[in-house]
Amino acid sequence: MTLAHHARIWFTSARYSIVRTLMFRGDFFIWALVEVFWMTVNLLMISVIYRHTDSVAGWSKYEMMLLVGTSLLIQRFLMGFFWSSIFEMGRNIRSGHFDFFLAQPGNVMFMATTRKLDPDGLMNSFVAAGVVIYSARQLGLHPGAADIALYALMVACGVIIHYSMLVLCIAPVFWITSAQGIEGSYFTLSEFSRLPREAFRGVANIAFVWILPVVVVSNAPASTLLHGLDLRVVGWLLAITVIWFTLAVIMFHRGLRRYTSASS
Amino acid sequence: MLATLNKYRAAFSVGLQSNLVYRVNFAIRGFFSFFHLIVVFILWSAAYAGSPAIGGFNFPQTFTYFVALIVVQFMIGAFNEDYQISEEIRSGLINQFLLKPVNYFAYRFSIYLSARLVTGLLILLPVLVTYPLLKDYLVLPTDAWRLALGLPALLMSGLIQFGIAYCFGLVSFWLLEIQGLVILSMAIESVLGGQIFPLDLLPDWLFRLSQYLPYYYQMYFPVAIFTGRLNDPSAALTGLGIQACWVVIILAIGQLLWQRGLRLHTAVGG
Repeated sequence: MTLAHHARIWFTSARYSIVRTLMFRGDFFIWALVEVFWMTVNLLMISVIYRHTDSVAGWSKYEMMLLVGTSLLIQRFLMGFFWSSIFEMGRNIRSGHFDFFLAQPGNVMFMATTRKLDPDGLMNSFVAAGVVIYSARQLGLHPGAADIALYALMVACGVIIHYSMLVLCIAPVFWITSAQGIEGSYFTLSEFSRLPREAFRGVANIAFVWILPVVVVSNAPASTLLHGLDLRVVGWLLAITVIWFTLAVIMFHRGLRRYTSASS
Repeated sequence: MLATLNKYRAAFSVGLQSNLVYRVNFAIRGFFSFFHLIVVFILWSAAYAGSPAIGGFNFPQTFTYFVALIVVQFMIGAFNEDYQISEEIRSGLINQFLLKPVNYFAYRFSIYLSARLVTGLLILLPVLVTYPLLKDYLVLPTDAWRLALGLPALLMSGLIQFGIAYCFGLVSFWLLEIQGLVILSMAIESVLGGQIFPLDLLPDWLFRLSQYLPYYYQMYFPVAIFTGRLNDPSAALTGLGIQACWVVIILAIGQLLWQRGLRLHTAVGG
């Protein structure tokens, strides 16, 4: 199965998703608004906190906005490209509809996790990018083309890590079938990515900065944009991207072996 | 009178049993909420590192507010009542209530009460487990007036929570899909209800404005009384008055939606 083959399948699915969205325009509008509102909630919280203090763990208001904007950007991409597919994967495994993906002409993990595109999530990635650009302007940053390319690469790594985390959160369904509420664990984890790394101390530092990738994912691109290239940070991010993606692939395929379909 | 009470006692008991089936789910959900407390702790302790008092409150006071918020959420919050009502309307299950001498609001409210009894007790589990870790950061004022005014505030908050969910559920008479609408309003409720940050940290004019909105009385108001963010008994009394007005308004809207909605409703099938 070549890359071109999978790209063709992806484009076909994407076209189908977009046509479907155009059929339910009202829904698209409401959901896009929902996401804008939730992003605003996060920004409001920062504005309120910074009304009363100048610095949180050494981060100024607009540095923090840039961090949250980056975290939102990564999450919007995840929502846009993968969320619906992976979320439904849990239900499909439970109900037996997962058979459908096994019969498709492509890698099972690729087919099961990329089938549905959410244009509202993708639209809102522009809003999140707007938050990042606005904050960068307020900070007087003038990143060059290379800086922006590096930032984009790191955001892409972030999306892959979030994708892997989400797959890892859903994959237990292969074993325990009923996994109601398990998706919530992903959202709980993603909350940590809006916090500056310097705020973590002791056990929290070990758990959320070193063991789980949730903090580095957003902090690495944001601090690169703020303070320039630090090879250690880039290397760290690339390494954990590879590790977490590999873990997700292994876990998914282990689970797949357990899949027995649901006969009726 | 007694027969009427018995009817809803039966609904309460059925609700209790069906909610007990999901006790593990609720317990897990409770523990996840406490994970959220780690985020709150890290963020706010970092914010407090630069200034010993934010909005006139120290770190334990603010942290206590967030812990109380979660506990109160499990005691009175409307979880998925709106979806359940919406589902009954969409699937036609609601028809059975139209044929029986059952008041739908009272039936739903009985089930809501039973569900909150289960979740309200289950949330005590993570509180007890984490108490040794939390106790250094918890400060609760002990004035008697807080209990006297806080309890009615809590009860009315429950009514507002349920009332809003009831109204959203009934919107299904007009719209097939309410999920987007519900999550949209959840975003507004979570900010103006004080779940993202204590409302008293808002700019003064906005804080004063928020006190006239129903969201303030959904969650923030009772929690502020209990955790010492609201320290003036007479202001709390005024708040109780405004809260009572909102209870009446929301329940009236619910009644109106029910009557109007039923006119539109078509019971299909047998």
